[in-house]
Amino acid sequence: MNKGKKALLLVTGLALLVYPVLPFSSDYVLHVMTLAMVYMILAMGLNIVPGFCGLLDLGYVGFYGLGAYAAGLLTIHYGLSFWVIVPLAALNGAIWGTLLGAPTLRLTGDYFAIVTFGFSELVVLFLTNEIWLTRGPLGLPGIQPITLDFSWLHPAWYFEFYEKAPNFYLAAVMVALIYFVMGRMEDSRLGRAWYAIREDPLAAASCGVNILNYKVIAFAISAGIGGVGGCFYARWSMFLSPDMFKFWESFLVLCMVVLGGLGNIKGALVGAAILVCLGEVLREVLTAFGLPPETRFMAYGLIMVLIMRFKPSGFFPAIASSSRSSRLLETLQKRIAADAYSREDDRGAAA
Amino acid sequence: MAPLLELHGISKRFGGLAALADVSFEVRKGQVLGLIGPNGAGKTTLFNCITGVYPPTGGAILFSRDGRAVRTNGFKPEKMIALGIARTFQNIRLFNALTVLDNVRIARHCRTRSNFLRSVLRTPFQQAEERAIVEDAMRWLAFVGLGRHAMADAAGLAYGDQRRLEIARALATEPRLLLLDEPAAGMNPRETRMLVDLVHAIVHTGVTVVLIEHDMKLVMTLCQRLVVLDHGTLIADGSPGEIRDNPRVIEAYLGRGTAHA
Repeated sequence: MNKGKKALLLVTGLALLVYPVLPFSSDYVLHVMTLAMVYMILAMGLNIVPGFCGLLDLGYVGFYGLGAYAAGLLTIHYGLSFWVIVPLAALNGAIWGTLLGAPTLRLTGDYFAIVTFGFSELVVLFLTNEIWLTRGPLGLPGIQPITLDFSWLHPAWYFEFYEKAPNFYLAAVMVALIYFVMGRMEDSRLGRAWYAIREDPLAAASCGVNILNYKVIAFAISAGIGGVGGCFYARWSMFLSPDMFKFWESFLVLCMVVLGGLGNIKGALVGAAILVCLGEVLREVLTAFGLPPETRFMAYGLIMVLIMRFKPSGFFPAIASSSRSSRLLETLQKRIAADAYSREDDRGAAA
Repeated sequence: MAPLLELHGISKRFGGLAALADVSFEVRKGQVLGLIGPNGAGKTTLFNCITGVYPPTGGAILFSRDGRAVRTNGFKPEKMIALGIARTFQNIRLFNALTVLDNVRIARHCRTRSNFLRSVLRTPFQQAEERAIVEDAMRWLAFVGLGRHAMADAAGLAYGDQRRLEIARALATEPRLLLLDEPAAGMNPRETRMLVDLVHAIVHTGVTVVLIEHDMKLVMTLCQRLVVLDHGTLIADGSPGEIRDNPRVIEAYLGRGTAHA
């Protein structure tokens, strides 16, 4: 990336970060940006399974829904703090991911995709029908907003995230944290094992990768991040209903990942931003034409078709391989340039 | 001294088809053993049984560890790699979208330990391990003569280089026994000469080699011992000279009657 591009990116990032405190900032724009960040979390989480591991996952929203309802119920019934619920939601997601993944990840390709699809439908059915727990189609209102409680230090240090701005910043911090964790996984023994499975399972096994274990780890981490996303969503929107977690949502998140470039972390961010904004635009445009807002899913489908036709590897085609820009590899590149490894390069050529 | 690998009456059935029937031989440490036979004789199936891709239907595979023979029937490929049996594939199976370096780095998986938590926290242990992985990978790349291409995409390598990369990847798992499945297939004479030198260098490092090969000139120059399979059964086992004059081998390759003609 050249300097100009980097500077532009920095300025844009800073402008977005200070936007909420500007006097002319609109609640609507803030809401959309926060929603985009929720989807960024989901897209980064989903990206692990089809992007790093090469497994089609059509039921990601199931983990998102489980996380959201777990957070909602724990808040309403036990008044637990958001900061306690986040790790619980991650753990809950990871446990469900393991429970679903361990028996089913032996399946390959389409068969596994069908299992994930079935799981997410199961979650929606559960949320709709177990009225004693979830109030079913009536939804779950009255979830407390996120609070930051330091009143034990100073009585005035108690914040409630009613306003849009604090939620926006919290979402930004969560996106940054997950992005950081993703980057570190991408360039590690764990990440490389996943790419090996994606590229060639038999060769991966012949390098000593326990395929089933690493698939389950990928699925569990992915599900855990979905749970965290759902947890934030519950406390931010303060209302949940089962139809928020329909199959369409899974498809939308998958669209984001594919649009950005399967396996690319930055791509997941960009894909989420584009599709959330597009959804808002379409909602306006389609209703202006007298069409129901749900027709926007047709637009998403069309976008998928167009990407597959004209840009099959997405906007950021550089797939995740162990980061080529790490310091370790930079020094290595210098040494290769200095011929440190070509001593035996001509082995046999002279013979 | 106990042999490195012993096969006792290995058989493998796929439904009604007997791909291997009662195959027994042993591989001694430091040998280059050639596994030859006509197409469909069961050579690759035997490799797959030894490396745990699928378990044999009958018989016993014994692999020596610390001087003791371990029965490895039914062990998974990742377990066999940890025990020290690495392989290459007849149709090259590289991680095509990854760099040459990453192909070999993945092979260090079975000898390294960093997990999710260590990777996210970048502990000193993990960082030292990552540095060692790169060093080891580069050592093996230099060994097969691909050091300069470390940052290139694996799919972009010349055919002969892809074969050598596969060998480097197998060597990076620190095997004691290396199984090469038709390493010279599709190579030009110059690449084949380089391969011969490479196999000699590998044996020199103390790794025992078993190779499947159709290039008889290559087999005769490289191998101290040959094992011949035909229709899943072992028909000959001996030095290259003995095998060359064995009537059953000539019959298997050229058809009945030719040996007496």
